Amino acid sequence: MRTTSYGRILRIACVLSLVGLGLMVWSLLDPTPMPVLVAMSVGQVFGTLSLLAFLGVVVADLRHAHLERAPLPSGPTSQDAR
Amino acid sequence: MILHHPLALIALTCAALSATILIGFLVRRPLLVGSTKLWLLLGLGVFPLGVATAGNAAGFEATKERKFCGSCHVMVPHASDSNDLKSTSLASRHARNNLFGEQNCYVCHADYGMFGTILTKLGGMRHVYEYVTRYRNVSLEAAKETIHLYKPYPNSNCMQCHSTNLELWMNVPDHKSSLAEVREGRVSCASAGCHGFAHPFTKPAASVSPASHRSPERAPHETRETP
Repeated sequence: MRTTSYGRILRIACVLSLVGLGLMVWSLLDPTPMPVLVAMSVGQVFGTLSLLAFLGVVVADLRHAHLERAPLPSGPTSQDAR
Repeated sequence: MILHHPLALIALTCAALSATILIGFLVRRPLLVGSTKLWLLLGLGVFPLGVATAGNAAGFEATKERKFCGSCHVMVPHASDSNDLKSTSLASRHARNNLFGEQNCYVCHADYGMFGTILTKLGGMRHVYEYVTRYRNVSLEAAKETIHLYKPYPNSNCMQCHSTNLELWMNVPDHKSSLAEVREGRVSCASAGCHGFAHPFTKPAASVSPASHRSPERAPHETRETP
């Protein structure tokens, strides 16, 4: 995952989550079979996907930061070669 | 609306907090630093989990209400009969009892036992499927003629309250003479010879020709005993 795509993934996750939240709120405001079913299926899938996307970005970002901090492997210098 | 339910209020509060955080992130587009991650954890994880948990619980409670059952048009006559204070049907008389009240459909039709709630909810999913695929465009009159339970109404549901053990119950001669049959489910409490059908338009199994109404996908054990 490229660091430049983190922002885009997070924005998509936010939109997915907002849609999921909207479906869940709809089922609370209009508790009839269809909204309740949609909220408990589609709404929760959207919410879960957005959370997974966020966790994926966090893990990738931490890994990237760890790799940046890690010292480069020390190879033979020019003096050693002499 | 189920906004009077505390769980629904918790769910709505969590949804509002989560939406505020997410919209804030979308508008401001901050850098992905530690504090941003923390806010997003709240907006994408903690608060939505609160919405899902409280919302599911509130949703399950809502599915027990008579209003919920009556929201499909084919169930309107059943719900209306339960609401009718002058009706003498079994369903209506039980609805006027506080133990059943607004949840009389669920209390009478729920499966009992360890997995009763889950089985009842699965049955409810099947109701939705049947409604969407078969009954959505069926007229009320046609629905009254064709709609039916998947299997005969079990006496065990009646016996959750009417245990058949009390002296008062045993003092009724008909109860005494048919005790074994009632307990074993061979005689239905809600039949014409006993307490009558639960709903005014319930039809006895024998009065409906199975060939005229039975659909090909119906399982063989399903009978014409109606709600």
